[in-house]
Amino acid sequence: MRKFEELNYYEIFEISINASTFEIRQAYKEALSIYGSDSPVSYSFFTEEESKEILDRIEEAFSTLIDQEKRALYDKMLVREKRIDPSSLTEKREKVPTPLFSYKNAGGAAIAKTIKERIKDKDLKKTKEVILSKDMISGDDLKQLRQTVGIEIEDLFEVTRITVSILEAIENDNFGTLPPTVYLRNFLKAYAKLFEVDPKKIIDGYLKNLNHIKATS
Amino acid sequence: MAHIFAVGGGKGGSGKSFISANLGVMLARQGKTVVLVDLDLGAPNLHTMMGLNNLKTGLNNFLNKSVKNLSLTAVPTKTPHLYIISSTRCSLEVCNLFYEQKQKIIRAIWQLPADYVVLDLGAGTNYNALDFFLASHQGLSVFTPEPTSIQNTVEFIKAVYLRKLKHILKRHAFSTAAKEVKYESDDGVVRSPLDIVNSVMRSDPARARLLQEELKKLKFKLILNQYRKQIDETLGNRIEKVCNRHFYSQFQFLGNIAYNERVFDSIIARNVFVAKYPYTPTSTDLKNVANKLTGNNVQAPALKETNAKV
Repeated sequence: MRKFEELNYYEIFEISINASTFEIRQAYKEALSIYGSDSPVSYSFFTEEESKEILDRIEEAFSTLIDQEKRALYDKMLVREKRIDPSSLTEKREKVPTPLFSYKNAGGAAIAKTIKERIKDKDLKKTKEVILSKDMISGDDLKQLRQTVGIEIEDLFEVTRITVSILEAIENDNFGTLPPTVYLRNFLKAYAKLFEVDPKKIIDGYLKNLNHIKATS
Repeated sequence: MAHIFAVGGGKGGSGKSFISANLGVMLARQGKTVVLVDLDLGAPNLHTMMGLNNLKTGLNNFLNKSVKNLSLTAVPTKTPHLYIISSTRCSLEVCNLFYEQKQKIIRAIWQLPADYVVLDLGAGTNYNALDFFLASHQGLSVFTPEPTSIQNTVEFIKAVYLRKLKHILKRHAFSTAAKEVKYESDDGVVRSPLDIVNSVMRSDPARARLLQEELKKLKFKLILNQYRKQIDETLGNRIEKVCNRHFYSQFQFLGNIAYNERVFDSIIARNVFVAKYPYTPTSTDLKNVANKLTGNNVQAPALKETNAKV
């Protein structure tokens, strides 16, 4: 057995160094279901400080591995320190097919919680002010909110459970694929609430902009 | 020599006696001679679960030296090949055993002429429970899916681990480390036994290897009792994983035992569950755990069996 602090990021998640993005996400969920603050396992095993240390390390591991550039740098570092065999690294990381029931994983709630915390920690005041001052609000504005926090569209899905294709359509003002207005209003409300901006203003501004685009095109 | 299983776990009411009794029957049904020993000293009730009353002999005869050989105090049960050594006639103060008496019992248990011995331990982390647990070949830790039960089980595992750690430190004369540990624990500073291992590693890396190897010999088996459908079925595997990651000993999760209302009925009827209700998922779970312990093949779920019969 090796101590947790000595494990490299791949060992923390028990994945191969050539794991795909999808595998990393799955492993991250799995790790959170064990070490997350809601888990009865972690609660019994570790003190609050120990648990925080472990969670910080998991967060750090995930944010590094999920980012292609950071991951490449990290791999280089591992090779340099002779902690992994360079020949075992393959150039191309294949995307494997998604197993059908893979989302039936207990880590969903834990992942949503960390994303919400990330949004809370970020100071969005300025971005919000700029957006709310506009009369018409476009998908780009919403996208900017998300990018300022630094989260992916898949992360939004984890929290709101709005499918990725709809979220993409909203952010791109793609009225062809947007759902009917009744549904759209609710989706926008969920989006706004997540980032703690006034939902009414967002909905009105967005729909106004959408009508404008429809009229001009 | 008999192979010894100890059934322990920190929390009361998690089903230690239930598992012991049913495991005893399952092992006996494999055609092996099995002895159940009720070591819940001061609170014995295993004999009641087996439907035996008014026992004439038991552990008391061995302790008061009226019988020299512990095997003579064993009483046959309703199940063939299954015997019980009860502590029901022991003094009410028997739970406060002298160290020498405890060692004597352990030595006698090791010499029992049986294939398997199942020790039913009491709740809590007192030295009796820990030392009997450590005297076994395989220690079974029984818990239910509530956070309180998981917490006490983890405490129990840590306590066993610490006791073992102290034994090793003493036996191999890690004098400075042992003193440090003693000093620290008197002060209540030791947060977890892992701190001790780490401190030995820092101060004496050469012998830390020995310590690790000794700790690795310690084998825990985990059983999740009263499993209900709405609970994540991988909970036990997760606990196994964390234990294996953060302790130097070996942990194996044996499986979930399904919750069953009729367990209550079987205890009221003072009959062993697997004998009264053999065709239930719970009985199959118990059978699978017994098979896993002895290395036999695990069978398909009970539901399929009963369906096949219809």
